[in-house]
Amino acid sequence: MIGLGYTLPAIISVVGVCVLEWSVLRTGLFRTRAYWISMVIVFGFQVLVDGWLTKLSAPIVIYNEAHTSGLRFPWDIPVEDFLFGWALVTAVLLLWVRQRPDQKESR
Amino acid sequence: MDRWQYLLILVGCILITLPLEAFGRGVYRQPRRLLRALTPVLLVFLVWDAVAIALDVWHYNPRFVSGIEMPFMPLEELLFFIVIPLCGLLTYSAVSSVLGILGRSRATMAARSRR
Repeated sequence: MIGLGYTLPAIISVVGVCVLEWSVLRTGLFRTRAYWISMVIVFGFQVLVDGWLTKLSAPIVIYNEAHTSGLRFPWDIPVEDFLFGWALVTAVLLLWVRQRPDQKESR
Repeated sequence: MDRWQYLLILVGCILITLPLEAFGRGVYRQPRRLLRALTPVLLVFLVWDAVAIALDVWHYNPRFVSGIEMPFMPLEELLFFIVIPLCGLLTYSAVSSVLGILGRSRATMAARSRR
């Protein structure tokens, strides 16, 4: 329950992504409506998919409870998963927005 | 069938988000941009995942994975880090496109009503 193995890195990943945006990439993504609407949609689907992966009755991913906070919500999803998922998706979105669109696309 | 569960979930994610490719410039139709956005993040998360598995922070139920092993992790776990960002990108691309269309039609209506 000390959370060193998962809780701490999950928090660090969120801080890391914020620092990346605010001090390096500066895309302004966090100030766009499209980003936050997307995050709400992604969150909804994460609950479904992650809920299935982590359900304690027949788990696909099995967590060592010594490394998590022990908080599971909703269903049996370790809350750390939402930090992990947010950092993963947001980091890719930041780099995506930072890149120019590929050329040769017909408009 | 149980051992295909994790893989089938990932296939489901790809299929459900596939129609979103129709919006705007899409994601799959910009392969270089996709690779440049995905690869650095993929590498960081694969290292994190490999370390977590090695330190027994989490592991995978052998009942629900195919048994195909990549270095350090099951195939499904590697695919997870490609599939989930793809779903996020397709969602963002579609939402941006819809907001753009709404914005433009609102501007057109405003211009018309001014006449």
